[in-house]
Amino acid sequence: MKDRFDILLGVLLLACAVAVVGLLAGTGSQASQRDLAVDKALEQEIAYQAKVSFLERVYAPVLELRQQGQNESALLKLDELSRKYPTEAHGELLRGEILLQLGAKQKAISHLARAVRMNGDYVDRYSPLSRRELIDPLLARELADVKRQSAENPDSRPLKATLKDLYYLQGRMAGGCE
Amino acid sequence: MRLALRDPHTWLVMLAGGLLGLAGVLLALLGNPQNSGICVSCFLENSAGALGLHDNARMQYLRPELIGFVLGSTLAAVGFREFTSKGGSAPLPRLLSGVFLIIGCSVFIGCPIKLFLRLAAGDLTTLTGLLGLVGGVWLGLKGLAAGVDLGRAKKQRDGSGLWTPLLFVLLLLFLFVRPGFVLFSERGSAAEAAPLLIALGIGLLLGAIAQRTRFCVTGGLRDLMIMGLRAPLFWGFMVFVLVAFTVGLATGTFKPGFYGQPGAHLDLLWSFFGMLLVGSVSVLIGGCPFRQLIKAGEGDADAGLVVIGMFLGAGLVQAWQIAGTAAGVPVYGKIAVVLGLAFILLNLLFFRERAAA
Repeated sequence: MKDRFDILLGVLLLACAVAVVGLLAGTGSQASQRDLAVDKALEQEIAYQAKVSFLERVYAPVLELRQQGQNESALLKLDELSRKYPTEAHGELLRGEILLQLGAKQKAISHLARAVRMNGDYVDRYSPLSRRELIDPLLARELADVKRQSAENPDSRPLKATLKDLYYLQGRMAGGCE
Repeated sequence: MRLALRDPHTWLVMLAGGLLGLAGVLLALLGNPQNSGICVSCFLENSAGALGLHDNARMQYLRPELIGFVLGSTLAAVGFREFTSKGGSAPLPRLLSGVFLIIGCSVFIGCPIKLFLRLAAGDLTTLTGLLGLVGGVWLGLKGLAAGVDLGRAKKQRDGSGLWTPLLFVLLLLFLFVRPGFVLFSERGSAAEAAPLLIALGIGLLLGAIAQRTRFCVTGGLRDLMIMGLRAPLFWGFMVFVLVAFTVGLATGTFKPGFYGQPGAHLDLLWSFFGMLLVGSVSVLIGGCPFRQLIKAGEGDADAGLVVIGMFLGAGLVQAWQIAGTAAGVPVYGKIAVVLGLAFILLNLLFFRERAAA
C-alpha cells in the first residue's frame, strides 16, 4: 500500500471478500435457499426419483406377469414396450432377468450387459435400481464355466460374445472411475 | 555421471514419489473409486460436472484433492518465496492443449498418474497406454530437439499469476458452503469419495511437496530419455510406482490381469493413441496434467490457462460422449483423439524455429 488510493482499493477489496463469503454462507440457510430458487441438486434428485417411479409404472405389467409365472407373456409384453421405448435400459434388464430364470443363460447375459452399458445404475451400490445382488452371483457361477467352454471351442462366436459380456460385467462390478 | 545421492533434492523427489504412490492407493481404500485414488482427469471431470459444465449425474463432485493440489502449491511457493507471476507464451495453443490433454486422458480413462496406479494394481490393459505415453514423450522431445518452441514465458505483474489460485479458493468455498447450483452425485463413481477433510489435507500436502520437487510423471520419462538413469525425477517416479505396487499388494488391491479391471476397457489401440496424445502435449507445454495444476498454483499464468482448458475439456468429454467407458471408446472419442494428434502435429509445424538456409 503506497498511497491513499491503494489503501482505498484494499479496503474495498476486503469489503468485496467479506460480502462474497457472507452471501455464499447465507445461501446455506433454508430461507435463502427458497429465495434463491436455484437448487439444481434437488431438481436432479426429483428427476431421478420421477424416472424410477416412471419405470416402475411402465414395467409393472411385466412384473405382474412374472409373478403369475407367465414368463413368455412377460417377454411379449417387453417386446411391445421396447417398440415404444427403444432406448430404455430397464426393458433389457428385465428381459435378462426373465431369460435367466428360463435357463437361457447366454441370451440373458447379453441383455444384462446391454442394460448395464445403457445405464450404469444397475451396478451401483447407491441406486434403487441396483442389481448387484443378481449380477455378482451370476459372475461367480458362470465366468469360469464359460471361460472353460470357450477355450474348448475356440471357434464358437456366441461363447466368445458371452465371455466378453461377462468380462464387461466383471469390470463394471469392480468399480473404478467411469 | 551418476544419480546425485548426496543431494537432498534427490531424496525429496523420491519422498514426493513415495507419498504420491501411498496416497494414490490409500485414497481409494478410504472411499475414492477403485484404482482412482488420484486421477487428475477424473477429478477434473467430476469437478466440471459439479460446476454444471456437463450433465452426467454420475460424475459430479468437487474433488477436494484437486483444490488441495493447487492451493498446496501456492502455499509452498509463497512460503519459500518462489511465487512468481509469469505468462504470455502461446496462450490459445495452451488453452487448447488443456482441452486435448483431457480428451486423451478420458479416452484412456485416467491421467498419467492413474495409468501407473492402474498398472501397479495389476491392470494389464494399461500396457498399450504406457507405450503410447512413452511414444508421446519421445515425439514431444523430438519436436523440441527439432526447434519447436512455444515461446518463453515473461515475468508479469504479480496479479496475473494469482487468478488460478483465487479460482481454487472460490472452489474451496463452494466445497464447504455448497450453493444450490453446485452438484454432488449421489450415485456413480463421483459418489465414491474419501472423507472431505482427509482428501483436502492429502491434496494440500501433495501440492506442496510437488511444488518443492517439480514432480511430474511425464517429466520423469522425459528426463530419463534426456539424462538417463541419473535423472532424480525418474527415480521419484520409480519410487511412486514401487510404493503404489507394494501398498496395493499389502492391502489386497493388487489383482493382475486383462479382464474385469475397474475403470478399464479393452480398446487397447485407442488407449495407446489417447496416451500418445497426452505424452506429446505434456512435453510440449512442460508437464503432465498434475504438473500443470502445480505450476498454476505457483503463479504460472500459462499453466493457469492449461488448467482452464482442462476444465473445459472435462466438461466436453462428458457432454459430447468422448470419454471412454468400460464398454470401450465411443466413435466421438476416437475422432477427438485423431483431431488432438492433428493439433499436436500442426503445433509442431507452426512453432518450429527452422535454421536459416
